[in-house]
Amino acid sequence: MTTTPTTRRRTRRPSLLRRALGATAGVVATAMVVSGCAAGGASGSGSGTPQEGGDLTFVIDSLGDTWIPNNSAISSFQGHVWGHVTDKLVYVDEEGAVSPWVAQSWEQNETATEFTLHLRDDVTFSDGSPLDAEAVVANLDIWSAGDPERGINPIGLFPKTYTGAVAVDATTVSVSFDAPTLGFIPTLGYHGSILLSPATIAAPADEQADLANDIGSGPYVVESWKEGDNVVLKKRDDYDWAPEALDHSGPARIDTITYKVVAEPSVRTSAVQSNQADVAYNPSPQELPVFAEQGFTVAAPRYLGFVNGYALNTQVPPFDDVRVRQALQVGIDREEILSTVYTEDWLPAESFIQSNVPGATDHSDQLAYDEDAANALLDEAGWVRGADDLRTKGGETLSLTLHPNPYLATSSAVDELVAQQLRRLGVDVDIQAFDVVTYGERVAFGSPSVPAYEVTRSFVDAGTVGGVLTDADNGEDWFNLGQSDTRLVELATAVAGASSTEERDPLLDELQGYVLEQGYFVPLTQIVQRLYVQSPRVQGVSYNGLAYANFYTAWIEE
Amino acid sequence: MSSDYARYAVRRVLQAAVVVLLAYVFTFVVISVLPGDPVSNTLRNPENGFTEDEITRIIAYYGLDQPVYVQLWESLTRFLSGDLGVSLRSNLPVSQMLGDVLPSTLRLAGTALVVAVVLAFALAFAVQYLPPRLGQVLRSFPSLFLSVPNFIVGLLLLQVFSFQLGLFRVIDSETPLATFVAAVALGIPVSAQIAEVLIANLDHESRQEYAAVARSRGLGRVRLFWKHLLKPSSLPVVTVIALTVGELLGGSLITEAIFGRAGVGSLVQRSVSTQDLPVLQAVVALAAVVFVVVNLLADLLYPLLDPRVRLDGGRRTGSTTPTTDPVRPQREVVAP
Amino acid sequence: MTVTAVTAVTRPTGPEREPTADAARPAARRRTTRVPVTVLASFGVVALVVAWSVAPGLFTTHDPAAGVPADLFQSPSAAHWFGTDHLGRDLFSRVVHGTASSVSSALVAVAIGVVVGGLIGLVGGFLGGLVDSVLARFVDVLLAIPSFLLAVVIVSALGFETINAAIATGVSAVAVFARVMRSEVLKTRSAVFVEASLLLGGSRWHVLLRHVLPNASRSVLQLAVLQFGLSILVIAGLAFLGYGDPPPASDWGLLVSVGKDYPLAPWLVWAPALVTIATVLSVNRISRWLRTTD
Repeated sequence: MTTTPTTRRRTRRPSLLRRALGATAGVVATAMVVSGCAAGGASGSGSGTPQEGGDLTFVIDSLGDTWIPNNSAISSFQGHVWGHVTDKLVYVDEEGAVSPWVAQSWEQNETATEFTLHLRDDVTFSDGSPLDAEAVVANLDIWSAGDPERGINPIGLFPKTYTGAVAVDATTVSVSFDAPTLGFIPTLGYHGSILLSPATIAAPADEQADLANDIGSGPYVVESWKEGDNVVLKKRDDYDWAPEALDHSGPARIDTITYKVVAEPSVRTSAVQSNQADVAYNPSPQELPVFAEQGFTVAAPRYLGFVNGYALNTQVPPFDDVRVRQALQVGIDREEILSTVYTEDWLPAESFIQSNVPGATDHSDQLAYDEDAANALLDEAGWVRGADDLRTKGGETLSLTLHPNPYLATSSAVDELVAQQLRRLGVDVDIQAFDVVTYGERVAFGSPSVPAYEVTRSFVDAGTVGGVLTDADNGEDWFNLGQSDTRLVELATAVAGASSTEERDPLLDELQGYVLEQGYFVPLTQIVQRLYVQSPRVQGVSYNGLAYANFYTAWIEE
Repeated sequence: MSSDYARYAVRRVLQAAVVVLLAYVFTFVVISVLPGDPVSNTLRNPENGFTEDEITRIIAYYGLDQPVYVQLWESLTRFLSGDLGVSLRSNLPVSQMLGDVLPSTLRLAGTALVVAVVLAFALAFAVQYLPPRLGQVLRSFPSLFLSVPNFIVGLLLLQVFSFQLGLFRVIDSETPLATFVAAVALGIPVSAQIAEVLIANLDHESRQEYAAVARSRGLGRVRLFWKHLLKPSSLPVVTVIALTVGELLGGSLITEAIFGRAGVGSLVQRSVSTQDLPVLQAVVALAAVVFVVVNLLADLLYPLLDPRVRLDGGRRTGSTTPTTDPVRPQREVVAP
Repeated sequence: MTVTAVTAVTRPTGPEREPTADAARPAARRRTTRVPVTVLASFGVVALVVAWSVAPGLFTTHDPAAGVPADLFQSPSAAHWFGTDHLGRDLFSRVVHGTASSVSSALVAVAIGVVVGGLIGLVGGFLGGLVDSVLARFVDVLLAIPSFLLAVVIVSALGFETINAAIATGVSAVAVFARVMRSEVLKTRSAVFVEASLLLGGSRWHVLLRHVLPNASRSVLQLAVLQFGLSILVIAGLAFLGYGDPPPASDWGLLVSVGKDYPLAPWLVWAPALVTIATVLSVNRISRWLRTTD
């Protein structure tokens, strides 16, 4: 459990990329310091005997914006810190399996509208106050509604069907919903659902924004922090309530963890290569094979969620024609994307949800690359190739604008490659990238200027899927269909409202097949949004269903 | 001269204060022209999945739903009472955030200034006293320094000194050696500007009659440099240095990003990508204060140091226009 | 790399006080019409850059946008002079095709500086009085904000695209041009022949167009050339911080900034960086030469 299948040294199939880079290794050696110890025999698997003590340095792109827990918990950056200073009610592993943590057990009623949580009785916050039923109720309430008047946001993906929670006794919490909410328990293991002391929750925004005031119950506590620069965590000696799913209990082994901001990706990886730091976050994927070859551990854990892909706007040309959507579905060479932009740690998309999500089924056959079929579909749709090889219909050129997702570093490169591929089909592709701010303003699902919205989103329960595909029940209406596709509405509503996984799984399978067949969602690859390059002396790191590196189980080999 | 000087000093101080205030307002106007703020930006991150209603309520908490002129008025009155407000991004008081990062940037910029001045003087000296062929090559250095993007210099220095030679660690970015190397990267373009002026002035001075007389009396070249040429040539450098202080602040954006330093520059970068108006306003005002104060000092000191400088703008006496020269009195870089 | 406001502002405006490097040379040599070799070389570089931007197709046959994914990260060779990038695109071709955009954005920046700054300086210097005072305060504010900081703030307001970076760079140069123009105008205005022309009843506009502008244009031109090189650097710096155009554009600054993320392929940084440096150096040399041929 401690090392994930994706955390491994690569010694197998020599990828295209590695050969390319191998050829340049001589040049590179002068520019980079290849750490001396990297070639040491013990690297990779190590001696396997956990050791106590040591300090770990993690170089990270940014430490995000605010530290108000609700406003920062799902951040790719602050999430690392929260994962160590707080606990959750349940643990979700990277296969989506839910297991007990602070909640030892739970039950639900037939219709999945009432849940009862049974808590451990020995958990305390780092200020000494107990993590009891009252504290859990306070957390559930703030996750659900936030407190906009105090500047506290709600947790985005917390079920909107929540009606309230009651502390039955010190260790029992009863939670109710106004509709079946099968996703409630997995959501408790979501990165947004971190447990904080009631005192922290009650504090005003400017106090919560000071990380030192945010009291959790996790294996580490904040020793010091400096805005935009670093956070130093030290281990909590009386910690003894780790999830059973992790094969370690009691206090953590590593004494301190320092998160240090280094904005430049190349500087981060160089810092690990020259032994100045232990872990570098978000290296460029294409360089991973080289690091692996040099003896560094490369981790590319997948999160649970949607795959990276395009949600097509069915109301604007050219995607108002199902044949054009289907042509796109089979006209993208996903293998080429994987071999050019990514490495073998990335998996091909099998559906529009990641294959590790419980309930995801394999629809690879619908996504196989078939240039001829794509051309035939476009011909059939009336788009004929002109002199410059671009397709036109009624004087209009078949064109498409892509907006790379600024939250995914590789998105631009993927879109550039897709543009090359589609040009072969006679589609004129324009790429317009925006920074995060502008992107938020101009690019949205269903906007007339956005024919294809590039999705990256994690979730912990497949029930979420039902809520985004149409506009039924305030859904997000990703494909701009409203409720015009009755079959989709039926399937989506059934998935969202299912009260057991047995009931839901067949529906979910049908839904996946239908969405792909209609070309509503065009998957690209399974997504890895969090990447790590680690010094070989760091061992035993674990990753949860949201792909954060958890150093609670880790140790440092001297 | 003394009452002239007093009038002049008072006028310059008032002008300086107005400039700082205007810089503060200017930043507000520039940032507020277009829609978008860090709060709605965070809220609209698709990972969140908030409803419009939730977004509206949270934006109201930050007062961002108010008309722009109301926001400007509030921000101005706050500023005048010494309150820099609260960051929209981090929810921390801006004064605290600035206070946290200022020492790092002061150390960096201070060291860079020293590096720049030393380098410039060394270069100017070498140009004068090395064999002409070599001197001619050195003359092109300032131009070269100004032609290389300074992130290239930074990346190169970091690669060599930290990763190859292992002299410092990027994660301990505040050690003296790390600061020094970063300061070299930041100081190089600045040194070029100082060196250009210095070299030109040395050329000019050494062509003056007194230099020729001194040489004819057998004064050594090195002695001539130290005793006679250096002072008149370096006085104008004071002005150049004063003007480059702002540039050190601007350049720190890139240098701090490369060397992983938590200073004003990296604070600006974080704030810019999220349009954190209160922080940006404070930083711009701070930069303006520094610039204005340093130049004010240079201007006020200058007439005291060099009596040859005329306060009212040499070449324009007799002009029909009143002389209200912006930042400092028009003075000759080379004494008449 | 940020500003040479300093060099521009403190440079004395009269030729008799010109303390330039070349002033050290014997007067006879300065007067000769022979153009120095380095200047000729600089013109050569600039001519090449102009040719690249006008007709990139003449210099390279590779498609800058479509690469061969199988050929990624190839180091410089006869087939790919500058190597290939992360998508197997020919870097030389990308540099050549990115020239037009790099050059034109620097031109936009200079144009904004010249036009807006020039106008402010001209109007302020020529009209004097209250107008001059108000404009002077505005210029003061622009001057008091470090120009790179100013550019960053403006580009963040306008949105992160190269054209906006160019506009921001232009705005940050306004103050310098305004000051130079103003002092030139004042100098010319008080010149005997201009005062005479005014006394003789010449219209103010006539005087402005006939005497003031032509006289001022030389210093402004020379500053503009200098500013052109500087603008390339500032825009590259903005691109480095991520405020430029997104790929697949291939501005030089952007190429460097994308390339730096692949330390294993150092040519991705060095090739475009060297082209940038050579261009800026040449432009600076020409500006310097213009100054000495006054």
